[in-house]
Amino acid sequence: MSSDFYTTQILPYAAIIIKICRAYTDTQEDFEDYYQEVCLQIWRSKDNFKEQSAWSTWIYRLSLNVCLTFLKKKKNNKQNSPSDLLPDEILVDSRAFADESLNQLYGAIRQLSEIDRGVILLYLEEKSYQEIADIIGTNTNNIGVRITRIKERLKKILSN
Amino acid sequence: MEKSIETIWKEGFIKNDALVAPKLNDLYNQKSIDIVEKFKHMYKLNRIGIVAFAIIIIPLSYVTGMIYMGIPMAFLFIAVTFVAQKFSNQLDTIDKNTSSYEYLSSFDKWVKDMIAVNSKLSTFLYPYVFLAMALGFWFIDIDGTILGDRFINGFVSEFPTTSLVNGFPILLLIPFFLVIGILAFFGGKIGKWDINLIYGGILNKLEGLLSDMEELRK
Repeated sequence: MSSDFYTTQILPYAAIIIKICRAYTDTQEDFEDYYQEVCLQIWRSKDNFKEQSAWSTWIYRLSLNVCLTFLKKKKNNKQNSPSDLLPDEILVDSRAFADESLNQLYGAIRQLSEIDRGVILLYLEEKSYQEIADIIGTNTNNIGVRITRIKERLKKILSN
Repeated sequence: MEKSIETIWKEGFIKNDALVAPKLNDLYNQKSIDIVEKFKHMYKLNRIGIVAFAIIIIPLSYVTGMIYMGIPMAFLFIAVTFVAQKFSNQLDTIDKNTSSYEYLSSFDKWVKDMIAVNSKLSTFLYPYVFLAMALGFWFIDIDGTILGDRFINGFVSEFPTTSLVNGFPILLLIPFFLVIGILAFFGGKIGKWDINLIYGGILNKLEGLLSDMEELRK
């Protein structure tokens, strides 16, 4: 890694990583772990970037994959931990944004399934259905229906 | 009016400082540990492979009638494993409670020492392998006759005027010792090439990471 790699190749896209990592974590500590893991994986996998997509799209894909894998690993590690027995709704995010609506939205997003979280994040980031399908690895036809369903679920959670 | 989730998303990130990237103080620590652990894993697999060869080569050479090659080769593999194990023990003593830079510098020093010792050993190792192989082929039994004897007899009848040293044609001894000399001369380089072939990727990463950290320390 060149000394500037983080500054030039990761930092300008940090917003993407932050937005995704926050949707998959409940505490600041976890968030920083995930953020670091994503940066580390970007550095490790940078040679696999084939320029078939934009660097930012590749970062979205990699960030989501890392978060999903890391989440699975953490879940496995915590299998016998009592906190794991608590439903997601009870887990309180230790961080708070200045914008209360955004806090509530993130709280609602965290109640979605892992894949749905990825889909809605990409939708909110104004990615096209094609890009979402490419990143998630699914069919474009399903994306529209899925987004509508997720939005309805989010509205329901938020109104509660 | 109730805001849509799209609006909440857009406005939320404009209003606050939620997008401040966390400091990556620990990133180099993770990368250092990652590199060293990867190397350790490969080094361990390498040692297991050598031990497996040492175990397999004796029955294999017995079956193929090359036991005179198998026994010295097995000894060689055991000796190589012994040296590698000693280095591995040293690697485990590197203090992890230091800074990433110091940790990686210690690891780098260990790698250089290991390469230096391996290069020195390779000066003997490759001629030894050649000698063991020559012995193995020499003593192959074909219909009750030793292959080496057959070869010498054939060579002497082809070149009857050749001088003999202890029953060996000098025309064969010269290239034989020449090959041993060449292998001894280039053994160190072959050894380094061999290490680079296996660990080159990790060692390049280590070099890059260290130069990165050195730059940051300036």
